[in-house]
Amino acid sequence: MKKYAFLLFGAVFGFILSRAGATTYDFYAKLFLFEHFQLLWVIVTAAAIGAIGVALLKTIKARSFFESQSIAFKGKPYKSSLVPGSILFGLGWGLAGACPGTALVMLGEGKLGVLFTLTGIFLGTYLYGLQQSRLQRAAQTSRATQSARETEMKLNE
Amino acid sequence: MTEVIVWSGWIGGLAVGLYAIFQWLISGNALGVSTGFGNVCSYFSRAAFFHEGEYATANNWRLWFLIGLPLGGLLAALTSPGEIVASFSLGQMYDSVLPQALWAKGLVLIFGGLLIGYGARAAGGCTSGHSIAGLAMLNPPSVLASAGFFVGGILMVQFLFRLFA
Repeated sequence: MKKYAFLLFGAVFGFILSRAGATTYDFYAKLFLFEHFQLLWVIVTAAAIGAIGVALLKTIKARSFFESQSIAFKGKPYKSSLVPGSILFGLGWGLAGACPGTALVMLGEGKLGVLFTLTGIFLGTYLYGLQQSRLQRAAQTSRATQSARETEMKLNE
Repeated sequence: MTEVIVWSGWIGGLAVGLYAIFQWLISGNALGVSTGFGNVCSYFSRAAFFHEGEYATANNWRLWFLIGLPLGGLLAALTSPGEIVASFSLGQMYDSVLPQALWAKGLVLIFGGLLIGYGARAAGGCTSGHSIAGLAMLNPPSVLASAGFFVGGILMVQFLFRLFA
């Protein structure tokens, strides 16, 4: 049932993103042309407030309301595709003037260009998943071949 | 295009930061959006990637959060003084560099979205997961990813406006 609360949380976060200017296309162009730093201020302030909040919650070993256990605060891991991936993301971010969250919020505001952008985001996510599934299968197959070969060599000895 | 009320940057950032903390405190889950796009793929794709690990359950909080976001946008538009205008415009600046014809503009935006979707999964998160939640945790990979997001954004927009404006 707890997951349904996120319908409301999404609406709250979406409303905040809109008021923060993150659903206004012009702010993206102006940010990356160094003309207006609305969105930089949003990120910097959010990160600072967030860092203070996280430090505070960690100190008091806060438990979450839903899980009634200490909040994990587990950072995302590094992987070799992180840097190229983040640059690809940035190229798309600058081209479409939206990110995954704000594109959805913009849809609610009647900014219909995001219908294309959202289609692209789903396609990109799907392509990544497809590619990862193929790579994984190829790795499994090569492992299987390897172990079959080793067994064969042992039998021949 | 709908004109929405915009708070000054630091007030907006304050609200975003407080929201991230609120979500942690209530649910224990770090803020994040882009992973949820994969939850939707779980319903359409049989690829292993969309059915294991963090995608073992497709119908989780991320899916409902995604559905809530447009509602927030609608609410923000309804509480702004102007009328809601459904439009394919991308605002004065982007409209000056993107193609006029809707089909061509659509292709450019689909390509942009493709980069966003693929890049977010390759980076392990988007501006919400890395640049809000990740920076709040002072997580080094998230700092690196956030820098990468900005490098890409600057490269693309500088290129667009130098060539087409």
